[in-house]
Amino acid sequence: MSIKKIRYFAGFMKSQENWLNAMAHKGYRLVKTGKLTYEFEECAPDAYCYTVEYVGDKSFESENDYKAFLEGMGYRVFYKNINLDWSLAKITIRPWAEKGGFFSTNRTTFNRELLIVEKENDGKPFELHTEKEDLADYYRRLSYPWYFMTFIMLLLLILLFPAPVPTAVLGVLSGLCFLPVIIAWVKIAKLKKDNKLEE
Amino acid sequence: MKDNVKGGALTEVTFFILLSLYEPKHGYAIMQFIEEKTGGRLVLGAGSLYGAISTLTEKGWIKPYGDSSGRTKEYVITAAGKEIAKKELERLKELTDIAAGIIGGAV
Repeated sequence: MSIKKIRYFAGFMKSQENWLNAMAHKGYRLVKTGKLTYEFEECAPDAYCYTVEYVGDKSFESENDYKAFLEGMGYRVFYKNINLDWSLAKITIRPWAEKGGFFSTNRTTFNRELLIVEKENDGKPFELHTEKEDLADYYRRLSYPWYFMTFIMLLLLILLFPAPVPTAVLGVLSGLCFLPVIIAWVKIAKLKKDNKLEE
Repeated sequence: MKDNVKGGALTEVTFFILLSLYEPKHGYAIMQFIEEKTGGRLVLGAGSLYGAISTLTEKGWIKPYGDSSGRTKEYVITAAGKEIAKKELERLKELTDIAAGIIGGAV
């Protein structure tokens, strides 16, 4: 028997991962993802575990290559959207993306920003990034969109400067947009420190 | 991955991937090789392995093997890669010889 759940986690990947693992713990295995929906079928409790990976900076080609690679490792992989579909033209730009990923459309990487990866639970933690340098690189990639968002907010702030209310709101928004960047900096600094201690 | 070519020192992961590819292998087999040879001490996440394979391919130390693609894509070490692996073996040998001379005895 399959069940359908409605959830939306936006960019909170860890929350999404925890929720999927909690569902697996209750005996539900993910079978399908929609924009706001998740379909599960019954399975043995804790038979599977999940991790969520950000791939929104990849080109369509390299995203598919990575997905195929993960499937070759014996994992099941689902696409998931990070944003709700607000783009009317179904095309958006991603200045932070790698070569070939600058324009994102409905036919390519749009609404395919995340991968939900499932493995059979073998009791070991499910980590895709185990090497410190690779992990630091991943944190860096995660923070790039937020540089762009901060830049846009500051740009709007400068354009609308004399009006007090938008200035205050945009000031707060730019601060909020910069927060993930600071978090990434702290995480990377910690990894670097650990690396040095190991030498 | 920071592989110091001038100094010769490779990261453990790089050296193991090069060694595993003396026979062509796909991603899953590389991971198994590393786990098996180290008795489970070194476990490599799939994302990190993917990154390492991309980096080594760019460097020309390994290359795709045959016309395999997608999930069964295989890789094999190149002549340049073998040269690097050989140098690393010599470096490690020199290191263990010096260490054995000081600490004494075989390991």
